[in-house]
Amino acid sequence: MEKTPFIEIRGLKKVYKLGKERVVALDDINLTIQRGEICCILGTSGSGKSTLLNMMAGLERPTKGKVLYSNKDVTRFDERRWALFRQKNIGFVFQSYNLMTGLSGVENVAMPLMFRGMDKDKRTRIAKEVLREVGLGNRMKHKPTQMSGGQQQRVGIARAFVTNPKIVFADEPTGNLDSKTTTEVMELMVNKSRENNQTFILVTHDNGIARYADRIVTIVDGKIVRDEKNESIARTREQIASDNAQEVRQQAAAEEETEVSAPIPADEAAANMSTEGAE
Amino acid sequence: MKIFDQIAMCLQNLSRRKVRTALTTMGVVIGTCAIVVMISLGVGLQKSQEAMLAQMGDLTKIEIYNYSGGAGGTSSVPNLDDSMIEQIAAYDHVDVITPVVQAEWGKINIQCGDYIYQDSIYGVYPEALEKLGYVLKEGKYPTGKEKDYTILFGENGPYSFYNPKNPEEWHDPSSGDPPVDIFSDDFTISVNAQDPEGNAKEPEKYDATVTGVLVGDWNKGYETVYGAFLSIDQLYKLYQEYDEFNGISSTSSSAFNPRKINYNRVYVKVTDMKYVDEVETKIKDLGYDTYSMETVRKPMQEQANKMMLILGSLGGISLLVAAMGITNTMIMSIYERTREIGIMKVLGCVIGDIRTVFLMEAGLIGFGGGVIGVILSFAISIVLNVLGGGGLGGLMGGYYYGGGGDAATQISVIPIWLVGLALVFSTLIGLVSGFSPANRAVKISALEAIKHE
Ligand SMILES: Nc1ncnc2c1ncn2[C@@H]1O[C@H](COP(=O)(O)OP(=O)(O)OP(=O)(O)O)[C@@H](O)[C@H]1O
Ligand SMILES: [Mg+2]
Repeated sequence: MEKTPFIEIRGLKKVYKLGKERVVALDDINLTIQRGEICCILGTSGSGKSTLLNMMAGLERPTKGKVLYSNKDVTRFDERRWALFRQKNIGFVFQSYNLMTGLSGVENVAMPLMFRGMDKDKRTRIAKEVLREVGLGNRMKHKPTQMSGGQQQRVGIARAFVTNPKIVFADEPTGNLDSKTTTEVMELMVNKSRENNQTFILVTHDNGIARYADRIVTIVDGKIVRDEKNESIARTREQIASDNAQEVRQQAAAEEETEVSAPIPADEAAANMSTEGAE
Repeated sequence: MKIFDQIAMCLQNLSRRKVRTALTTMGVVIGTCAIVVMISLGVGLQKSQEAMLAQMGDLTKIEIYNYSGGAGGTSSVPNLDDSMIEQIAAYDHVDVITPVVQAEWGKINIQCGDYIYQDSIYGVYPEALEKLGYVLKEGKYPTGKEKDYTILFGENGPYSFYNPKNPEEWHDPSSGDPPVDIFSDDFTISVNAQDPEGNAKEPEKYDATVTGVLVGDWNKGYETVYGAFLSIDQLYKLYQEYDEFNGISSTSSSAFNPRKINYNRVYVKVTDMKYVDEVETKIKDLGYDTYSMETVRKPMQEQANKMMLILGSLGGISLLVAAMGITNTMIMSIYERTREIGIMKVLGCVIGDIRTVFLMEAGLIGFGGGVIGVILSFAISIVLNVLGGGGLGGLMGGYYYGGGGDAATQISVIPIWLVGLALVFSTLIGLVSGFSPANRAVKISALEAIKHE
């Protein structure tokens, strides 16, 4: 039986025109991601990782090609449908946290629920619960400016997961954090995704961080050059942590030549991706 | 997003920049104040003019004069007869209509014991009296349905009775009682002999009932002071009898057939001052001469309106400046919040919600400024009235009619419609000023916004 792909990208191309100059940021990207997969998009700076992610989230329009969620073509969605789609299905973690400076931790976390039209008591209760889960039970009422970078990113993570989205995107989520905090934050996200069978798409230039993923897609100059199952995932988490601390330079040796994607089987192949409005 | 959350977000945004919000609101407050106070001066002027006019006469009354009236006029003007009265009565906004026929002097006597009244007897539709604004002092209005002769006197009517045997006897209305008591004495009414010597028999005396007396008002006319009102039908009955008694043939009688009579004078009362012009024009078009306070009121009102427009525009300019302030504030606020707007969009906030929040902020500045402005305007209005009692209105009044008297004490009047207008207008100004910034906010690219520092 053929499995319905959860996310399918077909011939995706993005060209930026700057005056007469044309920058091909992405060139003929084909990618299929299954439900529950933890997928890392790895590449050097300027390789087109963010561009790919943004197009998957509807923040940018592709020049060519399609993005399908559970066989549904979302490429031509208008702004409103994309907003509602993100509201329902997507969580975001940013490198620079992107918290609302005027709001407290709880209010920041509760915000996506507010957009859905949930009433205040309920969303505050849920937000508090998620904040406790990310270890910020004692920082709920603090404003982002009163928190460390790591704490802010935990708020960001709580905000991404609070709606229990089917997909979470993270663009360099640990870019501004030290190595210890990076480990904590990565584990937090990966564990939460696994707990809820969420698809987690991680963008990074850091091989060490890529190790947390089940699958690593490497992009060079807007093209996929490698798509491999992550070997190290078989190892324990402690080992990953120590890898990150000590074996960063040995990454190259660990690379293997797997061409075909070998996704982790999703229990329910075609999750119903809702594109309807907020309740 | 729930409306409650939108409001909360809007308030939060406004309170984050307290000083700026306060200053922007202040602009609206000043603008609203300017408009409200200015217009209140105009309204005050108008009010004092109206009060002044009301003192001079009834503002809703139209008097029709038909100079071709009398015995079969030859002009092209149609006869002002009962069917014409019915026609005019059917016009829109006509409240009540009555012909006014003053009995020829000496034809009819009202008698009470030795005393006779021969002053001024008017035939009218009795049921119109109350609506015409004749105010009762005592007793009640005649209904027009009485079988017997029924009389309503002007305030000093009872003082006009005199004793033919003692013509020197004089009863002063300002002191002392009238010679007759309208409620306890018996009255009779009769026609007069043209030539008392030549007639063998006395004219018949009919019992008459007096229903009451009116409050005398020289502005409403002599009739309210010294007159006596009869129903027009009863007056004609007496006229007929007069002709018969004195042997005057029906062809030479001007008043014989009520259906053919051409009235000299008809009073029309319209339901509201604002319809006077319309109704009066229609009547004029029939060819009759008319008189109403409108001829005086209109130019005065036009002047007051012009004044109000000038004053209001002055206020409007300051509100326009306030509008620019709001737009400026909102644009600033958008620049500051570009990143936040981007985050909201990425997190799935639909653009409609973002626009609503921005419009609410602008609208709230407008509305809030309007409310404070109106409150402040009331304070200013009170101060103006206390300091400059009889100021502008009195000035104008004096210019026209040598002083408007006590009518022109309020220089500034804020009617409830002005409050409503100010609030609606200031809110609208806020919304309009916020419209383009709000649209700019929703057009911000989410991606660029979150890169924005
Ligand atoms: N708005 C834009 N206009 C023009 N060119 C752009 C724009 N955004 C991205 N690019 C170009 O597209 C290419 C890919 O950019 P992208 O941001 O996807 O890189 P990246 O892999 O995320 O890099 P980094 O790791 O530094 O974030 C780059 O060459 C960049 O210059
Ligand atoms: Mg990037």
